[in-house]
Amino acid sequence: MTTTLETSQSSLNRKKKGRFKSLFFRLLKSKTGFVGLIIVLAMTIMAILAPYLAMYDPAKTNIMSRLLPPFWLEGGTMEHPLGTDNLGRDVLSRIIYGSRISLLVGISAVILAGIIGMFFGLIAGYYGKLWDFIIMRTVDSFLAIPNILFMLIILAVLGPSVPTLILVLGGTSWVVYARMVRSETLSVKERDYVRSARAIGAKNFRIIAKYVLPNVISSFIVIATLNVASTIILEASLSFLGLGIQSPDVSWGLMLSDGREYLATSWWVATFPGIAITVTVLGVIFLGDWLRDVLDPKIKD
Amino acid sequence: MKYFLLNVLKTIPVLLLITLIVFVLVRVTGDPVSMMLPETATDEERESLKEALGFNEPLPVQYMKYLGDLVKGDFGESFRYDMDALDLVLERLPATFQLAIASMIVAIIISVPLGILSAVKRNSFMDLFITGGAVLGKAMPSFWLGIMLILMFAVNLQLFPVSGKGGLMHLILPAITLGTGIAAEMTRLIRSSMLEILGQDFIRTARSKGLRESIVVNKHAFRNALIPVVTIMALQTSTLIGGTLITETVFAWPGLGQLLVQAVNLRDMSVVQAATLLIAVFVILSNLIADLIYRLLDPRIKYD
Amino acid sequence: MKKGLSILLLVFVLILAACSKDSGGSDKEQGEKPVEKSDSKTLVVGFGTDVTSFDIHNHNTTSTEAVHVNMFNYLVKNGGKEGFLPDLAESWENVDDTTWSFKLKEGVKFHNGEDLTADDVKFTLERVANDETLLEYGSYKQIKEVKVKSDYEFDIITHAPEPALLNRLSRIGSGILPKDYIESEGWDTFVNKPVGTGPYKFKDWKKDDRLTLEANNDYFGEAPKWEEVVFRSIPEDSTRVSELLTGGIDIAVNIPPTDVERIDATEGVTVKNSPTQRVMMLVLRTAEGNVTADPLVREAIDLAIDKQAIVDSLLGGAGEVTRTRVTPGNVGANESLFGTSLYDPEKAKELLAQAGYADGLTLTLSAPNGRYLKDKETAELMVAMLAEVGITVKLELLEWSAFNQKYTERTFNDMFFIGYGNSMFDASLALDRLQFERAKGETDYNNPETEKLLITAETNMNLDERVEQYKKAQEFIAEDRPQIYLYQLQAITGVNDRVDFEPRLDEMFYVDTITLK
Repeated sequence: MTTTLETSQSSLNRKKKGRFKSLFFRLLKSKTGFVGLIIVLAMTIMAILAPYLAMYDPAKTNIMSRLLPPFWLEGGTMEHPLGTDNLGRDVLSRIIYGSRISLLVGISAVILAGIIGMFFGLIAGYYGKLWDFIIMRTVDSFLAIPNILFMLIILAVLGPSVPTLILVLGGTSWVVYARMVRSETLSVKERDYVRSARAIGAKNFRIIAKYVLPNVISSFIVIATLNVASTIILEASLSFLGLGIQSPDVSWGLMLSDGREYLATSWWVATFPGIAITVTVLGVIFLGDWLRDVLDPKIKD
Repeated sequence: MKYFLLNVLKTIPVLLLITLIVFVLVRVTGDPVSMMLPETATDEERESLKEALGFNEPLPVQYMKYLGDLVKGDFGESFRYDMDALDLVLERLPATFQLAIASMIVAIIISVPLGILSAVKRNSFMDLFITGGAVLGKAMPSFWLGIMLILMFAVNLQLFPVSGKGGLMHLILPAITLGTGIAAEMTRLIRSSMLEILGQDFIRTARSKGLRESIVVNKHAFRNALIPVVTIMALQTSTLIGGTLITETVFAWPGLGQLLVQAVNLRDMSVVQAATLLIAVFVILSNLIADLIYRLLDPRIKYD
Repeated sequence: MKKGLSILLLVFVLILAACSKDSGGSDKEQGEKPVEKSDSKTLVVGFGTDVTSFDIHNHNTTSTEAVHVNMFNYLVKNGGKEGFLPDLAESWENVDDTTWSFKLKEGVKFHNGEDLTADDVKFTLERVANDETLLEYGSYKQIKEVKVKSDYEFDIITHAPEPALLNRLSRIGSGILPKDYIESEGWDTFVNKPVGTGPYKFKDWKKDDRLTLEANNDYFGEAPKWEEVVFRSIPEDSTRVSELLTGGIDIAVNIPPTDVERIDATEGVTVKNSPTQRVMMLVLRTAEGNVTADPLVREAIDLAIDKQAIVDSLLGGAGEVTRTRVTPGNVGANESLFGTSLYDPEKAKELLAQAGYADGLTLTLSAPNGRYLKDKETAELMVAMLAEVGITVKLELLEWSAFNQKYTERTFNDMFFIGYGNSMFDASLALDRLQFERAKGETDYNNPETEKLLITAETNMNLDERVEQYKKAQEFIAEDRPQIYLYQLQAITGVNDRVDFEPRLDEMFYVDTITLK
């Protein structure tokens, strides 16, 4: 995984030229990438416009209309197109609002992880020696503890809330970025033009900003995109273990986990948030795969 | 060999860091005493129990004591079970291993043929179907899949037992639950690994020699594609063990995963520490071995 | 390609809908396939948690004790209305304020063949009364010593007058242990191969999986009815229900209310609701500085919550509304406050207006998530009900350990939601948190009249007068509302029709009261 292939200067230039120019054209050519983009855009718009799209307050309970089925089943009405949950809350409205926290948590956690990972990866790769040793051993110890176990312990300690969840999801998954950025940095550092820049006494900060960062960023974006998907699923798993998002906040993971008790009797409570998660993850992965093909063909996994 | 030894030496600071991380995480919240006593306990009762169990000492002192005990092989006592934490963890290992191996087998059975097929029939409908399916497999939270499998195959069709540990039949549903996510990941990896190999010179040579396509795929391409896959499998160890936390809870499987979930919930610190440390050692070890195998199988990589 | 993708999605959605439908069925036929009846002499009980330990003094879980009662015997059994019944003790007498003398049954043998004598009693009780690291220490520290008079006669001496001694001796930690076995083999051996006097003896324990007991044919009482009893641990509710529906277990505890209808509709299994000792309540701070310091506000909160609706909708009827925590079956229960509740949202609004909150007020409520039956949903529903009368509630839902942390540190704000059990079946344990000293930082409840009643009743050896004092105190508390009682939780148990099972108030599983039909 840490092995990087030598990329020659000429192919680098070729890649740069063609990279952004025909981006849109290439997007249209890749059907899955296009579908992915549409899904991700739709979900984002849904999250932003949630108050205008949802018919009900997602936390509004109504004992009189508990567990109503979706409209196409007997007993269902268009008032609650996807039915209601065990407290009489509108499932559709909750899914619409749930997109906010699911995406917020997914994206912010990845950004946080990316920033931390980028920072330490650059330091480890560029300065090397002791820094490299300390940072990489820390990375190793994080990697040796299964993600979900790590999160379970931290959340049990801190108590789950949206900020802590972002902090924990981000604070445990930065290691992947750190590793990737470090190995990219190592290979960039040895290139002739970087060497000569150092030789003429350019400042480290300048070298990193001008030469290293641009080379790292495309692999970075690809991994980050795919990471959003796994973060959304992790959030659902944490809800199952009782340490995910807590009411009155609502997320898809929470709905899915709360609804699991009703899978046998009122399937719609858990199935629709499940579909929401699946479709979103599908979209994000399609988009990520496509970005990889376009931005950085040398990453395979 | 020197390289391998160096890597083994590198794990020592890693393990030390892990003990520190887990220790800080677990103890920094204060004490587990409040979790051990019922709602109706009085403050004096809590205080006296805390004192008696040594939670009133400063944290660094507690950590040094903990490390000292570790060196002696003493991982502390489980509050919940009133027994040696290490014994408890070791007792659970076989059940988790059984589940993990079965899941790995499920994952291999699913991913190897599908991965090869989708690479060989690149961009066909079949390829799309398989890659799409792999994404779905990744997108399904495992607790949900597990409950669904129980409802469908155990309650409705009554083909398998619902839960618990028993014979082979007991193993199937949990192994599918845990194996699906891994299979999805592996299918994608095998596909891309196969694609890379299929594009290489020696495959083209083999084809140009007029060898049948099936022989090219099976004999030449797959063998070479297998090398990264072995590594990938080892790297999935951590994911696999992480997954047991949820799968074992859903299926009442008496392994390490369930033990850990309950130990965290009840703040049974010694158990959390012992289990985490043991898992970490195991993950590090399997990565080392994978690394070694990788280097042995693939002569292109030099020792640095 | 695009077409393929949409087909793929469609297939997925169809599978989803199909399997949901298969398992759920339409509203009319909610049940599953009939459950087959077996006449196996093995009873299988499905719990949500595993037995914690066989160190009977170092656990405080009801479900663990529910298993232990089959392996160990108490000196006396709490028979509820019938008073205390002989178990290992043949007779007993309260000699003076601090001395109780007992006589043991003769010829009782432990599972390893050892005879039960007064030395075993001394060994057992003095251990838990003296070792403060044991979790049950707090309930036994009142015992000063056990004086052995002969092989079968002994006195229990308490530090202070202890009117509830027999209650203490008939609950968690009261099982009598074999002194010689433990002293020669050590505790480590004992907890792995426990030995008691009960009708069933230890066979095998696979942690977090199953505990197997087998009949003790030398039992001193009535011969055991089952050859083998298996207690399984199945943490996930839906899995436990599935096991019941497929005949994998005979009895399943803690059935989620949502599944009640489905189980009832299935042939071969039934659901039983039975009262428990746990009462759910709101605990309010009455100290100056909190809005809840105003008794009118506390009354308005009480009146705004429709407890019966919570029980009916969320719990599927598995609860009984109450205005006291000392429910029937406990010494000192005030039954006139049980089975009743107040709900009058109009009056609640008036009270708020009177208190100067005509425009509404805001307060905080902390509630645990996942600790009690439907705790989260109940809290959410109460918030909605309070909003109806103009009380805006900031709800803080906490995972149990986080909740517990705040609870022990006493850092809750205006109000928190909790459920208290009572394994002593006595009003003293139920009400002692309301004594002024103990209420500090929690309710800060301070009514001199209640205080006097609680303090005198605690050590009053005149049992009839003591009951009256507790009853009076409960009336004051119901009016003052430092705690607003909501409902007594009921246990929902699923039972295979092949067995007869009547759940008990103390939630113990005396296996021999469960019989084959």
